Parts: sequence; C-alpha cells; structure tokens
Amino acid sequence: MKFGKLLKQQIQETLPEWREMFLAYKELKKLVRLISASSPSSTHPDEHGLSKGEAEFMYLLNHEIEKFNGFFMEKEEDFIIKNAELKQRIQRVVGTWGEHGSQPSEKLYEEEMARIRKDIVDFHGEMILLMNYSNVNYTGLVKILKKYDKRTGGVLRLPFIQKVLDQPFFTTDLLSELVKECEIMIDAVFPVEEREKARELREAVSVADEGIFRKTIAALMTMQEIRRGSSTYSHHSLPPLNLPESYLSQFLQLNSPIPIQ
Amino acid sequence: MEARPALFVQRSGPQQLSTVRVSGALSSSLPVLPTPLEERYPKLPDSLQVTMEKELTTGPLTHTIPVPSSSGAVGHIFSSNSGYSADLHISSVSPQEKHPRDTTPFISQSSTGKASTLPLQATASTQCTEKNSWCPDPLPDFLDFAADSPVQGTQMENNNSGPGIPVSEDFKPTNWQEWADQLINEDDSLTSTWNELLVDNSVSNPEQPKMASNFPVSQNQLQQQQQLPPSSANTSSSKPRMRWSPELHEAFVEAVNKLGGSERATPKGVLKLMKVEGLTIYHVKSHLQKYRTARYRPELSEGSSEKKLTPIEEMSSLDLKTGIEITEALRLQMEVQKRLHEQLEIQRKLQLRIEEQGRYLQMMFEKQCKPGSEKLKASSSCLEDPSGPPEELQQQQDSLNRSESRNSKEDNRPETDPLGSSSPLPEESKEELEEDSRDPEQKLCEFKASKRQKTDS
Repeated sequence: MKFGKLLKQQIQETLPEWREMFLAYKELKKLVRLISASSPSSTHPDEHGLSKGEAEFMYLLNHEIEKFNGFFMEKEEDFIIKNAELKQRIQRVVGTWGEHGSQPSEKLYEEEMARIRKDIVDFHGEMILLMNYSNVNYTGLVKILKKYDKRTGGVLRLPFIQKVLDQPFFTTDLLSELVKECEIMIDAVFPVEEREKARELREAVSVADEGIFRKTIAALMTMQEIRRGSSTYSHHSLPPLNLPESYLSQFLQLNSPIPIQ
Repeated sequence: MEARPALFVQRSGPQQLSTVRVSGALSSSLPVLPTPLEERYPKLPDSLQVTMEKELTTGPLTHTIPVPSSSGAVGHIFSSNSGYSADLHISSVSPQEKHPRDTTPFISQSSTGKASTLPLQATASTQCTEKNSWCPDPLPDFLDFAADSPVQGTQMENNNSGPGIPVSEDFKPTNWQEWADQLINEDDSLTSTWNELLVDNSVSNPEQPKMASNFPVSQNQLQQQQQLPPSSANTSSSKPRMRWSPELHEAFVEAVNKLGGSERATPKGVLKLMKVEGLTIYHVKSHLQKYRTARYRPELSEGSSEKKLTPIEEMSSLDLKTGIEITEALRLQMEVQKRLHEQLEIQRKLQLRIEEQGRYLQMMFEKQCKPGSEKLKASSSCLEDPSGPPEELQQQQDSLNRSESRNSKEDNRPETDPLGSSSPLPEESKEELEEDSRDPEQKLCEFKASKRQKTDS
C-alpha cells in the first residue's frame, strides 16, 4: 500500500498532462485480489488455462505497457525536436550578437539568452521527469508482478519483466543522451559562476512555483520514500536511497509546501 | 476497410453485444477518434467491458499499440471479413450521420466514460492534428467501428426503415483505403514475426493478452528496424509508432529545408526526399506538425515583446542584478535536476542488475533440477549456488551506495553521515538475500525433483 500511496502522490505532483499516463497500480491490485486463490481449472479457464481474473490482469498489464510506450515515444519525439530547436536558437543568437553579446544590442542579447536559458533548464527538467516516469512505472510493474506471483503461486514475474526491460519506455538510452547533450549546452550558455556572490543569491532566491523544478524535487522525494527499506526487502529490492538529510530540506525552505511523508 | 474482427462478434455473448453496440455507435460515425482507450472506457467498470475493450483494441488491424491477435487469427479475420466490409462500412456511416438522434439512445445506455468520446469531428485530418500525434491513432476506433458494424448495421437498418444505403459524402474514403491497404500488406510481413513470438512465449497467457504481451517485443523489433536505416521486412504501416532518433530528425529537417521551410514543405514531399524505408506519410505528417509547433512558439516570443516577455524585459531593463538572480535560480534548478538524473541512472542500473541476477538464478535452477537421477545433489547444489550471485549483487549495491554517498558528500558540506547509515544495511540485507533466494528457488527445485520422482515411479 505504501507504494500505491507514493505513486498517487507522484501523480498529483506531476505535470497535468501526465497524470493519466502513470501505472494503474490500484486497479491492478484490485484485479490481483479478485483472482481466486484456487487453481485456475476450477474457474472456467480459457484456452490457455488462465482464470478470468488472471486474464483480466494480463490484459490490463499489457494495456498499461502499451500506454507507457506510446506516451514515452511521443515525448521522446518532442524532445528530439526541441533539442534541435534549442541548438538552433543558440546558434542564431550567438551568430547575431556574438559570443558574449556585442555592445549595441547587449540588452537584447541578454534577454534572448535569459529566455533560452530558462527554456533549456526546463527542457532538461522535463526530460528528467520522463526518465522518472519510466522508472516509477517500472517499479510499479515489478511490485505488482510480485504480488501476482504471490497470489497465484505463479512464475510470471521473471519472464514478464525480461520483456519489459526491452520495452521502448524502459530503454532510455536515447533520453540519457539527450540529457547529456542538454547539460553540455547549459554549460555553454551559462556564464561562469562567481562562487560567493552566487551562493548569496541562491539563498535569497525563491523557487516556489508550479513549474518543472518543483516537480523534480517532488520526484526526488518520492524516490527516496519508495526506496526506504521495506518489510519485504529481498534480493529483488533496491537499496534505500541515501540522500543527505539536509539536501532536500534546503529546497523545502524556499519552496512552497510539498507534502512530506 | 478490410479488417473486420469477426472474432469479436463471435465471442460476444448477448450481454457484451450491447456494450459493443454502444461503443460502436459512438465511434462509428468516423473512424478518426483519437481518444485513447481509457477515455473510451471508464477504468475497468466491469470485467465484461474489459474483455470487450481488450478484444476491440487488440484487433487484427495493427501491430502498434492495440495489439493484434496472432498471425493466424489475423489472417482469418482479414479473409472472413473482407466480404462485407464495404457494405457495412457504408451502411453504418450514413445512418449515423443522417440520424444523429438514433445514436443517442445508445449513448444514454453507455456509462459515463463513453459519453466523453463524443467529439465526432468531420474530417480525419483535424482529428489527427488535434491529437498532435500520428494519424494512425484513430484506428482503434476504426476497429470499433468495424467490430460493431456487423451488429450495428443490422440494428440500424432495422431501425431506420427509411433510408437506403447511400455513401456519405462527408466521409474521406481515401484515408480508410490507404490505412486498410497498408494494414493488409503489413499483415503478411508480420505473421512470421508473430509466429516466432508465439512459439517463443513460454508464459501461460490467454490468447489475447498473449498476443499483447508478445506484441511489445515484436513492436520493439519493428521499431528498431524502422529506425535509420530501416532494413526490416516490414513494409509501410500506418499503425506502428515510429521511434524517432536525432539522426532521423536531422534527415527530416534537411528535407524540409530543401522544400522551402516548415510552412511550405508537405508531408508527401518530405517523405519522398527522406527515402527512409518503413517511414509512412503519417509519421511524417505528425512529426511535421510537432516541428511546426516547436518553431512557432519560440518565434512568437522572440519577435515583438509579448506578454510572456515583458516580465523578463522589465527585469533586465530594471536591474542587471535581477538577471543574475534568475540565472542563479536556474542554476539551483539544474542542480536538483542533475541530482535526480544521477539517482535515476543509478536506480536503473540496479534494477537491471537485479533482473540479471534473477535470470542467472533461474538458469542455474533449471540446469540443476533437470537431471532426474541427481535429485539430492541438485537440491543441495541449488542451495549452495544462490549464495554466489546474491553476494555479488550485494557487493555491487554496496559499491553503488558508497559512490552515491561519496557524490553527495562532494556537493554538500553540511550533512549527516551517509556512509554510516549505509553500512549496517549490507549485513542484514545480505542475510535476507540468502534466505530469500533459497526459499522460493529451493522449493521450486524440490518440487520439480519430487515431481520427477513421482513420474519415474
């Protein structure tokens, strides 16, 4: 139940258009519960020896995976396009105004750069969120399959997960590449940091908004929660996520309230 | 138009027929409802609907998202339905358009979710653009339409004694034909893949979900083949979702520029220029649309100062310091994002390793437990072996944990002791690991061994 709650939280905190795209964990759990504990043969199985409940479960599971794949690939496509566009924008700006903005239009240069910087950082954030999306859904799948196996005494988990690993929504190599490229772009576009001054300003700056930043913080917190040692820790479980305690709290001070579990 | 899932009709019990009719009524006016499955059907209202839903969407038409059934079934469907495709198509369409009222009783019967699927637009193209994704999306609804038409056709005809069966002019037959043709073509090339997958799949699944679970694999293969340069056996298909890559996009942009820019270029032209096998006009169309949108918005903001820009403009005109503040805020944001990214990568690696270990264990057990005469030896070696890999895994997890905490130490000075907190973990989890891995697999091993014993004697 803990994961279910965390997932719900994550869904609430995420971008609105994404909400429907997460795993229907609760539904799947319901289906697992409905599956009769008795052997399949006693409940009018179909030609593959699965009871009705089991068949429904399988169906929903596959449906969810299709959903993930579709959404993920669409987002990926968007990111590819955006990535190329940002590169172009930077080139254009640099071309028009030179590397650090030529005199007459420095203001314009700065304006444009500010816009580009914001866009790039948000773009980066969105990609990370997609990665998180992939991960959360995968985690959910693993958990629900574990429950299924427990309930039915089956061995569905292992082979099914093997297939999931190859799914588009979980093969995030391209996404990682894009993220790295983005980080390089950012380094190129941001002025060199002046340590002390920067730190001061950072503390003074409020980051409270509904934007991408807040979502990433929420995602981090949720991830930490999910990975907190559970009662059913096994060799299939991930180790707890050890973020230093003060790390996230520094953002929480600045930020508007994010529910803390 | 060929794809008629006769299977659906066959399987439908009387109860299901009514729901089929309802959904058919809603969607059959035009095939182009890009509503996702979830919208069309409320979340698992009842098992019947779920099954229907599944059957409808895992129809024979596509090898994209709604997974088609087995190759054999597909072939069957295509052949058996080809007969009445045209008639039904026409008959179902016109009554819909001419007598919208007639559909309402159906609609009222439906549950809430279905009511939301009512945006029945006039043109296929608008639907496509609306969704801003590849046009083939609507096909599931096309399927519904198809599925229901045998039932509905008669229904409608019975109800509407008057109207004949004129062809609707508003309709765009070209899209249908193209899609249908493509789908039929692809069927042949796909059957072999599906067959392989069917044979391959050792997990016991019911037929439909089996196809669905096979499908992701086959789809992936298709996509991989469809990426640059596609050398797959699959011919053009409208349904499979294209997985774009930066290289492919570059080729796309090149083609677009050659044709005079994003506004001037047409999907057809771009498709021709790109010369990428497996790429369909629908892929190009949707991609072009995304491309246009992506360019349009930045240009809006770049040009004259619009609403979005004024805050930034004001700020930078007021005070350069504020500009720096913004930059710093962004840096902060980046830091968090980078951190999340790092954690995600680590987590993913761990997850992959866990599964790898699982596979390894499974393999070991299968090897050990197979020979019947070595039952005792097998079970004892089963016991010993698991302790190997889990240890390895634990070590990996340890090292990852350590590197995690090392990283965090570098970034943040004030912190608690991550190493301290992580060190007790390995020991207790190690024990658990060994216990846990023994139990299920030991049981499995023993069970198999005992079974063999029984059959032997």
